[in-house]
Amino acid sequence: VQPPEKPLQAEEWNKLREDFQLPGIFEEVMLNSMIRCNSPIDVAKSLLTHLAKCNGDIAYTVLVKYLTLCVQQGQVSEICDVYDIMKVRFKTLESGAYNLLIKGLSSSDQWRMALTLLEEVKKSMIPSRTCYESCIKAASRHQEMKLAFELYNEMLAKDVVPTLDVLQSFFDFSRGMKGAELQKELFGILFYLRENQIYPHRTFMRSIKLWFESIPGENWRGRLTSIKDSGQCPVCNHQLEDSNLTEEEYSSLSERIIKDVIHGTDTFRKTTPKEFEAFQTFVEDRLPFDIVIDGLNVSHIKSRRMQCENLLDAVNCLAKENARLLVLGRKHMLINSSNWKREIMKEMQNKADFFFAENISEDDAFLLYATLRSGKHCRFVTRDFLRDHKACLPDALTRHLFRKWQRGHQIVVFPSAEGRSINFLPAFRYDCVVQTTGDTWHIPYKNVFEEKYSYQVPRKWLCIQQK
Amino acid sequence: MRSANTLLRKIVRSSVLPFAAQHGMKKDLFPLSRTLSLSLCLKQDKSCEPSEKLDLDEWKKVMRSGLQEEVSETVSEPKELSSLAAARETLEMWRLAGRAVPENISEEQLKTFMECPSKSAKKKYLKYLHLKELYKKIDKRKMDEKRERRLEAQAQESKTDETKKSPFVCLWSSTMDRAYNWRAAQSMIFGQPLVFDMSYEKEMSVREVTNTVKQIVMSESSNRRSVDPFHIHFCNFKDDSLYHREFIKQYKEAWGKLLITVTDQCYTEIFPKDKLIYLTADSPKVMKTFDHNKIYIVGSMVDKSIKRGVSLARAKRLGLETAALPLEKYLLWSTGAKNLTLDQMMHILLTLKDTADWKKALEFVPKRKYCGFVDKPVKELKKTLDLINTLKLGKRREEVERQFAKNYPKK
Repeated sequence: VQPPEKPLQAEEWNKLREDFQLPGIFEEVMLNSMIRCNSPIDVAKSLLTHLAKCNGDIAYTVLVKYLTLCVQQGQVSEICDVYDIMKVRFKTLESGAYNLLIKGLSSSDQWRMALTLLEEVKKSMIPSRTCYESCIKAASRHQEMKLAFELYNEMLAKDVVPTLDVLQSFFDFSRGMKGAELQKELFGILFYLRENQIYPHRTFMRSIKLWFESIPGENWRGRLTSIKDSGQCPVCNHQLEDSNLTEEEYSSLSERIIKDVIHGTDTFRKTTPKEFEAFQTFVEDRLPFDIVIDGLNVSHIKSRRMQCENLLDAVNCLAKENARLLVLGRKHMLINSSNWKREIMKEMQNKADFFFAENISEDDAFLLYATLRSGKHCRFVTRDFLRDHKACLPDALTRHLFRKWQRGHQIVVFPSAEGRSINFLPAFRYDCVVQTTGDTWHIPYKNVFEEKYSYQVPRKWLCIQQK
Repeated sequence: MRSANTLLRKIVRSSVLPFAAQHGMKKDLFPLSRTLSLSLCLKQDKSCEPSEKLDLDEWKKVMRSGLQEEVSETVSEPKELSSLAAARETLEMWRLAGRAVPENISEEQLKTFMECPSKSAKKKYLKYLHLKELYKKIDKRKMDEKRERRLEAQAQESKTDETKKSPFVCLWSSTMDRAYNWRAAQSMIFGQPLVFDMSYEKEMSVREVTNTVKQIVMSESSNRRSVDPFHIHFCNFKDDSLYHREFIKQYKEAWGKLLITVTDQCYTEIFPKDKLIYLTADSPKVMKTFDHNKIYIVGSMVDKSIKRGVSLARAKRLGLETAALPLEKYLLWSTGAKNLTLDQMMHILLTLKDTADWKKALEFVPKRKYCGFVDKPVKELKKTLDLINTLKLGKRREEVERQFAKNYPKK
């Protein structure tokens, strides 16, 4: 349906309605198309007038749709009028209308009214993050930073996740302002990014950089760079934090892995108690390992070659440095078959320790356990992203720990383009999170367009130092 | 444009073809006339001034004036609402906003709604109630229509007033029931046992349990109607459990008269271990033939969220043999999970028992989950399957076309 360009008389609306296939939803369809085409507000008004004359009342949905159109065009006085009418007509409103009202009012000079509305919403429900976003932006636009941060902290306390947009607006609106309190709050946001392993995108990063450089009398200087594999920043030669966990974190992560990933609700789901015990004693007898290999995963690297040859290549590559290897596999690898030749298996067992789990057991969980038990220096080799194991962990904090540990200890294998060699992507030496030393900040950021999975980390960094 | 329009109207009005205008032509003119009338409206504003000036804010006056009396009422009422009443208000507003919300909601449902842990859980629950209500309405409407039709038919018959004589004896459902029960009773003594493992209540939500019970009721009825029924055992059945309550809700007073064995013992206590086979989709072993001397166990569980390996873990713990249906061997699987519902399982097992024909038995697997039976070498079928999938998912169009051209060369 194409909405008309000018306000229409009642009989003209009637005519249009008659020509419409489903007269029952005519006004809703009409208003939707007005919203889509961003029609002049008078056209919508004429439709409402026609409806009011016909029925003596206007349905809530129609009012909400009209409100959407007003918010879209920033018609503040109309928004207030609709709110007055709604308030009288209905005892409470629902979240959709509140969202619209708050959004509409917060971007006008009536923004204080949006705040009172937010209070009203809080009485009956937890406001949505868009509500908070509108109010916070309004407050910071009018330089009421204290109020904005109060709302922000309240939002965090209610477990409402802020959008990156809100966080960015804080930096944008604080540009050039002085104040120890303000600085502390903004550093707090950077720490929030750190705690939750969030990477800002390019424009957000730019806002952060500009804010730092605009602080009067502090001489911050930001530059874009990429960090060397050694973990050194080429701009300020500063060594980034290493990816090791503390002793405490290690033991808590090991415990969680055993409790939630290996045992879960029922030990029999992934292994059996007997098997796990046997594995534990096996590991304790031979500790510590340097590298733990997921045998089956590595054996599938090249589909053209025999699986045992793939594994042999990997073991040979890794055994050169005199490292103690543990290969995890399943019992079917011991049966002589076209893919698993007995003599090659024998040859490998001279170079590495092997543990074979039952064919219906999960070998990945054993891999995690053995690596964690061996200590900080131990790495593991697999192409698996370990997403399903991360998902077994119950709380976000442990999941973050797990990811951090994974980044620092996983060696990823991939086949080289030609020839027999296998390439290894070494584990990260440094931790890829927002970090500070007081007079420097290092902030990893991503391009807006690149998709980021939780196991991928950005390679680009913003380095900020104080001269 | 305008002249064309008036001309058109004149033709219609001039009753040259009054009949045609009313019937046949209306259809053809309708879309045309619609666009014309629209453009007419738009044009009119530019060409001639509207006779009266529109008051655009009149709707506000109407809304406010109609509410004056109501306002005086609302002011006087107490501000504080109980949480239940507040929830009702919220629902009412959502309904007005056009969300999927049931029209009537009981106290119990309202409490369940308030206990939902998150916004999305609340939405889901309301949508479920809304759909339930909708289906109920539709069913009721159909029943009413049916009744009316029946009454009409009866009225017709009473007019004709002829007694029909049928050469067949009319078999009433009670007679059928008696025959079925007789068979079921025989199966209780001589039939092959089939065990439903009722130990999964902890792993399921309330809704999953009700679904499980519904599926078991369906399986039991299809078993009763078969030529040679199983002797059904409900093992690990705890009295006064959620299962039990749901069964009573479903069967009502028939629950006590069912010709099945219900016990709180484990199947390993009743039957010798070497005869038991636990059927689970996660099993590494594939069933080749149906063994009449073995006792099959089916886990009574519906898992709306994927719970892999739960039933396999049970079998592992007790050291039982396991088996999975040979779905991949006989069917060209396309989409969906390989765990089947309990009533489908029952149909398949009954058919296997009577005919030992896999193809016939696997007819009961939902058609949407497979593309056909395997009768050619699998490699050829794989190509067809990929083709079907790509066509269905609409991906890689050129590649599909190339494939297609390769498979079916032009002659």
